[in-house]
Amino acid sequence: MKRVALLAVLMVATRAAAQEPRLERVDPAARAPVAALLDSARATGLSTEPLIQRALEGTTKGAPADRVIAAVRRLVADLGRAREALGPSAAPPEIEAGAAALRAGAPPSVLTQLRVARRPPLTMALAVLADLVASGVPADRAAAAVLTLASTARDADLLEFRRAVERDIALGAPPAAATAVRLDASARAARPGRP
Amino acid sequence: MFDRIVAHLRAPVRIDPAFDERVMAEIATLPALTPVRPVAAWRRLAPLAGLAVAATALVLIARPAPSTRRLQFVVDAPQAATVSLVGDFNDWDAARTPMRLLRADGPVWSAVVPLAPGRYRYAFLVNGSRWLPDSAAPAGSDDGFGAPSSVVTVSGT
Repeated sequence: MKRVALLAVLMVATRAAAQEPRLERVDPAARAPVAALLDSARATGLSTEPLIQRALEGTTKGAPADRVIAAVRRLVADLGRAREALGPSAAPPEIEAGAAALRAGAPPSVLTQLRVARRPPLTMALAVLADLVASGVPADRAAAAVLTLASTARDADLLEFRRAVERDIALGAPPAAATAVRLDASARAARPGRP
Repeated sequence: MFDRIVAHLRAPVRIDPAFDERVMAEIATLPALTPVRPVAAWRRLAPLAGLAVAATALVLIARPAPSTRRLQFVVDAPQAATVSLVGDFNDWDAARTPMRLLRADGPVWSAVVPLAPGRYRYAFLVNGSRWLPDSAAPAGSDDGFGAPSSVVTVSGT
């Protein structure tokens, strides 16, 4: 009986590797569950590339199979929530950046508001939101800042805003205060002629 | 009746002696025509068109897509024998992007990678065993893998 079960696991793992050759690098114990997660993501129209990369990251870093499976499962859920918040027209990089923002702690409603406030692609705006929250800026402050800048700032402006906030935090400023100060400076810069 | 028709058809046709001259005079007044031979022209151009298609394909293959950007990654890794850049852009394969030591700047290692717009996780692998994040980039979320990651976002505009 054990042999039959082992054979079945091996067959499933072999089939999974055949569908996505890169999964051959993944721990055999994680291969079939990861392949099943890829199948379910594919069935719902989600891009499987971020999931494959997450599995490969865990594998290359020597993580145990259960952690690799858990990370991929978590990412499937995050990508699904991000697409739901951003709408069906969202591009895969936007969904991936949205998933990172959600994972960092941003609420899904901010993603939906951002979709309305800014012309696509939203990748950079969502990434800046995720990075600010990851830097310690409270999610509501980070969301408010990005939404304030969303309609007028270019990607480069958003990137510079994030760098400035992170510089201030590194120099000792409280994250929320750094965000407020830099947002005020951005608003002043956008209104030339005023002191 | 039948015989009369046959006889009429067999009778020699009488043409005015000046008929030929009148016809040729009319033709001489018509504008000159350029012979149009589309198939022959296409055949003449075919080798050139083939070369153009081949050249375009070569350019497309040789050059990265217009939105792709070349990003330089640098890391300060003293006493490292090897450093690899490993991330979402190279399937987390440590053999794919070895970094180059910039001797003029001390123990600074560098690699340049073309990246399409998107968000990428990555890390530096020192001596094949020690993982380093990029101190100049935001940190990636911790997935319990036991090693740090950084993220870089490439703008699409």
